[in-house]
Amino acid sequence: MKRLYEHSDLVWYLVLRDLRVRYRRSTIGLVWTLLQPLIMMLVLYVVFSNVFRFQLYRYPVYALAGILFWNFFQQSIVASMNSLRGNAAILQKLPVPKAVFPVATVISGVVNLCLALVPLLAILVATGQPLQPALLFLPVSILLAALFTLGAGLLLSPLAVFFSDVVELVGVVMMLLMYLTPIFYPMAIVPEQYRWMVRYNPIRSVLEVFRDPIYYGKIPPLPHVAVTVVISLVALAIGALAFRRNSDRIPFYI
Amino acid sequence: MPTLAMPRPVIDLREVSLCYRLAKQKIPSFKEYALHWMRGALTYEQLWALREVNLRVDRGESLGIVGRNGAGKSTLLKVISSVLPPTRGKALVHGRVAPMLELGTGFDFELTGQENIFLNALLLGHPKREIEQRFDRIVDFSGLGDFIRTPIRNYSSGMLSRLAFSVLTAWTPDILVLDESLAVGDVHFVKKCEERIGELQAHGTTLLLVSHMAEAVRVHCRRCIWLESGCLRADGRPDEVLDIYEESSAVAVEADPGEATISA
Repeated sequence: MKRLYEHSDLVWYLVLRDLRVRYRRSTIGLVWTLLQPLIMMLVLYVVFSNVFRFQLYRYPVYALAGILFWNFFQQSIVASMNSLRGNAAILQKLPVPKAVFPVATVISGVVNLCLALVPLLAILVATGQPLQPALLFLPVSILLAALFTLGAGLLLSPLAVFFSDVVELVGVVMMLLMYLTPIFYPMAIVPEQYRWMVRYNPIRSVLEVFRDPIYYGKIPPLPHVAVTVVISLVALAIGALAFRRNSDRIPFYI
Repeated sequence: MPTLAMPRPVIDLREVSLCYRLAKQKIPSFKEYALHWMRGALTYEQLWALREVNLRVDRGESLGIVGRNGAGKSTLLKVISSVLPPTRGKALVHGRVAPMLELGTGFDFELTGQENIFLNALLLGHPKREIEQRFDRIVDFSGLGDFIRTPIRNYSSGMLSRLAFSVLTAWTPDILVLDESLAVGDVHFVKKCEERIGELQAHGTTLLLVSHMAEAVRVHCRRCIWLESGCLRADGRPDEVLDIYEESSAVAVEADPGEATISA
């Protein structure tokens, strides 16, 4: 932890580099960050309102908020797993604290998420929703989502070094998790007997703390926030401990 | 900071052994790991890259490290730079180790020379403030001129090594680790590097030089060690050590290149 703090300049530089590579080299980078979730939202909107025929009040906002959250979560984890392998040469030669790479990855994910929030807020306004003061709660939501994601990233990134198939394996698990998280469907359509699976999915709590201020224009209920704080901190603690245990072995396998 | 009483060695390796544990079965995937683990059929082959190495290096010494490929030179350096923890024994290293990295390591080819100065120095563990202070001097020493503002994917290997060396030696490390990658520079720059290394040594920097070229060790080092299959085979004046090292290589090549064992 202390060594990570001493290298905070490095972390910031890695974040900047990430963003630079993504946005400076091409305007496509920025357009893609903004456009991809919108396209996804449109597809979902068409599919759900025409094929599954359910109506959800302001579905585009609901779905888009969910997609942005999920993109952040999934992309950060995949990028964390690749971050150690991508810097193999450095990790074999220099005693940099290895956690700088996943940490920087998640931070640049947060920046991307914030950028992608801009069109979402535009849609809110366009659909005649005044911007609620509850939106000011979003930084807290994003912080919790970031801590949770970092925990998962720290847990998984060393495994990706030890076994090359972990990235694919995690891809499959993520797909499953996505369907167990009410991202593009409302809780109400889940059949009663399966609902517990969605309810006890910790990612759902983190998602709802993020989505409530946007979708309902309300700060999420306090007990719910408290549970999410605990979930995020526990995830981070597990990830940090696992990372520390595996840290010394990374240069042997990379 | 430096105490005059009892010179403390900058490097003090005590009975250092390092073992790479290689799985006998090829286990590149988690699936196979799980399968083998369930069958209880996980066996490992132990590959000792360093065996009970004892080494004390004092401040300001210049040490050449010779040995054939796979003799444990890089592993030794990784232990000294605290990248790999020794499996057994103790590695005490006091001070900052600055290794000259292979061409391109610690650089991002999409970024400009300027940006890479920051990236590289940050990776070496320097805070941003110090890099800003030394920035002009680094650019100046590298002699890259306007190229510093272009992406380094356009650089030649000589230019890359100029940049790497300039960053590395903008600080005075306690231990400077160099290998052959410097030799790709032009004569003029190599001379400049040698001067800079001399300055650093005058400030107490310990120099570790890993080289296949005996000549470089003879010129720059006042002490030399020879590693063979992870063991420290000789430690002494470069002339003496290099003589027996070269003799043994010659004998080994003559006798049987496949199974070269040398009786000391």
